[in-house]
Amino acid sequence: MSYLEEGFTLRSWLTTRDHKRIAILYAIAITAFFFVGGAAATIIRLELATPQGDLVTADTYNKLFTLHGVVMVWFFLIPSIPATLGNFLLPIMIGAREVAFPRLNILSWYIYVLGGIFVLYTLIVGGVDTGWTFYTPFSTMFSNTHVVEAAIGVFIVGFSSILTGLNFIVTVHRMRAPGMTWFRMPLFVWANYATSIIMVLATPVLAMTLVLLSAERILHVGIFDPALGGDPLLFQHLFWFYSHPAVYIMVLPAMGVVSEIITCFARKRIFGYRFMCYAILGIAGFGFLVWGHHMFVSGQSMYAGMVFSMLSFMVAVPSAIKVFNWTATLYKGSIVFTAPMLYALGFVGLFTIGGMTGLYLASIALDVHLTDTYFVIAHFHYIMVGGSVMAYLGGIHYWWPKVTGRMYNEAWGRMAAIIIFAGFNLTFFPQYILGFLGMPRRYHEYPPEFQVLNLFSSAGAAVLAVGYLLPLVYLGWSLFRGPRASANPWDARGLEWKTSSPPPKDNFVAPPQVDAVPYAYNPEVPPA
Amino acid sequence: MNSPPRLRVYAVTWIALMALLVATFVLAHFRLGAWNPAVALAIAAAKAVLVALFFMHLRRSSALVVLFAVVAFFALAILFGLSGTDYATRAIHPTPWVAPDRY
Amino acid sequence: MSVAAPEIRPAAWREQTVSLGMWVFLATELMFFGGIFMGYLYLRTQFAGEVAQASRHTHEWLGTLNTAILLTSSFSMALAVRFSQLARRETVQRLLWVTAALGAAFLAVKFIEYAMEWHEGLVPGLHFTIVENARTTALFFFLYFLATGVHALHLTIGIITVLWLSWRLRKPPFPDARADDVEVLGLYWHFVDAVWIFLYPLFYLVSLAS
Repeated sequence: MSYLEEGFTLRSWLTTRDHKRIAILYAIAITAFFFVGGAAATIIRLELATPQGDLVTADTYNKLFTLHGVVMVWFFLIPSIPATLGNFLLPIMIGAREVAFPRLNILSWYIYVLGGIFVLYTLIVGGVDTGWTFYTPFSTMFSNTHVVEAAIGVFIVGFSSILTGLNFIVTVHRMRAPGMTWFRMPLFVWANYATSIIMVLATPVLAMTLVLLSAERILHVGIFDPALGGDPLLFQHLFWFYSHPAVYIMVLPAMGVVSEIITCFARKRIFGYRFMCYAILGIAGFGFLVWGHHMFVSGQSMYAGMVFSMLSFMVAVPSAIKVFNWTATLYKGSIVFTAPMLYALGFVGLFTIGGMTGLYLASIALDVHLTDTYFVIAHFHYIMVGGSVMAYLGGIHYWWPKVTGRMYNEAWGRMAAIIIFAGFNLTFFPQYILGFLGMPRRYHEYPPEFQVLNLFSSAGAAVLAVGYLLPLVYLGWSLFRGPRASANPWDARGLEWKTSSPPPKDNFVAPPQVDAVPYAYNPEVPPA
Repeated sequence: MNSPPRLRVYAVTWIALMALLVATFVLAHFRLGAWNPAVALAIAAAKAVLVALFFMHLRRSSALVVLFAVVAFFALAILFGLSGTDYATRAIHPTPWVAPDRY
Repeated sequence: MSVAAPEIRPAAWREQTVSLGMWVFLATELMFFGGIFMGYLYLRTQFAGEVAQASRHTHEWLGTLNTAILLTSSFSMALAVRFSQLARRETVQRLLWVTAALGAAFLAVKFIEYAMEWHEGLVPGLHFTIVENARTTALFFFLYFLATGVHALHLTIGIITVLWLSWRLRKPPFPDARADDVEVLGLYWHFVDAVWIFLYPLFYLVSLAS
């Protein structure tokens, strides 16, 4: 009996301790928030189709981009791969029956929902206009929107993140099946493990920063107010100490997904497995050292800026190693262009572009010109959307048969992937040019000479919206009418493909014995 | 698992902690200039290490647990240290106190 | 390090697993307090003299007394953990009571301190009447109340959990799972103690030399 058939009541779902069901609870919640954030983006792109600020007022526009950032970062991207695909697959991939602390797991989902309720409440009572970055002194002294409520919502959802990370760390250390050594684990597990370390160490600093922010807003003591002896940059150091590693929380699991998909659909083991593991750890570690690159023009010391700039160049190295290794994996592979593979290939290309533009921004002299322009927006959307979201969709498609026991329609899948890829580039590539030309971010109006590029971008957003809506249709349809999936429809390697689709409640009928190297796709060719 | 530590270990640790408390309190009353905070923090660190090693059994724990304890401190050190590069080298120009404008 | 499946050595495996979970949690707690320490580091390095002056408003005798109380509560908690490994249920229960009582005594002293500080007009944003070195004193006491307040909150949660665990041990049996609970609660308690070990010199001992 599969895990889906162990109880059909709502109560059996809401009181579950099964990591697979919790994954689905998360998937539903984050999909809902994705469309909330997407709705905000839709209005933003509609407004920006014309140079005049004629659709919404400036204040409303500020609230829209704040909502978009807060929801997309904390309620979609950060939980997306770890809490859905990670929760479902991580125990299975290491041959475990469950995560280490199942009750903490379902608690983390309820905490997520509670945080989400606070943010939705904030939205209903009028929103917040500080940007997702909550910079002081605007947020503490001048904004007359619901900053504290929004801060509470983010504070709460941070603990969901922390509990997920804690669970994954202990699960990987303590619950691997006999024979599953560290260097036999799939890269998806390594990626989620490293992500969990970041979640656990960085998120609490954000929590305290939000406490300081709220206390300052209520009491006006002056910890962030220079006139009273405080320092607005203290907020920024504390905020970005979390928020930079947070972007690695958002991208590392995506890299893990991509490694799984590329090996399967190139029919080849990953090139340089150990270096991929070290690169994952290196990204997580170095990611803690670079936060000051968000503060080059903030008034931070120039010498500190130089240190952060140099460290930011260094953090690109392990990411580049991963891109080289994916490319080398593809080389002389037998490539099959399934929907997941299209998403994974899209990730590699778009992440590379986004990553390289990150190097432009890491150069202080260039950043002086490009910061707070659309160049930055294009850079991080290439990584977060062109990268992480595409990898997330690729993973959803790849593991869909395993999770649901049904196959989706491959033609629709490929079509949606191509529409998303095209729509994405049409939306965000013009923004690089707009940024270079000097169009600032977070403004609801702009000089008329920028209109053509903005129109391209808004048109692209429409295409992108269609692309994102399509999977709802055909994936939803497949749940009822899709053909039943076998245990291993892709002929992939990995323990998750050795159990039925969908898996039984305890993941395996008998505890698996692990003696194979990971990614044993082309055993006839010895590893390098 | 091994048998638990002898009672003596806990008692001696407690006595040492109280002695360090007396020491830090007394030393704080002497004018030692820059050494005051250094001594106070060193004694605090010693107390924390005693608590970790003997009360929290870090001495008998696996290398993994010790690693986790150390990594967290390391992360804090990065926060303080790299922020410190800003505060240590920023040119701050003190101006007279001015009441901030508010709406 | 080999990983034993739970079916093979359940008791030792469970103890090490929940213990690791608590250590990871303590790492997050350290980073949580780290934010306050960062604010303190900023204030102390930028305004060393003023912070020294501001800190003279703290009540160092009560702070020292509280440190002694908390260190002793850590002693009783550590003994409780030791005796739980010998399954001495009644001894553990008594030691947990002592620990909770000492924790409550800490909170009582803290309450008295806070009342005195309110009376002296040292609560920024709410009741602050200091005029000399007002701004740095306000910031110092902001951090003081935040740090000791968050610490007291953690201690309160600890006391409640100790009492709950003690209640669960009021009757036999004393399974290994309960002994594990005592051990991880002990780790948490010692961490709360360790945080105070640092808060004490940072807020009370800055400038006592007259």
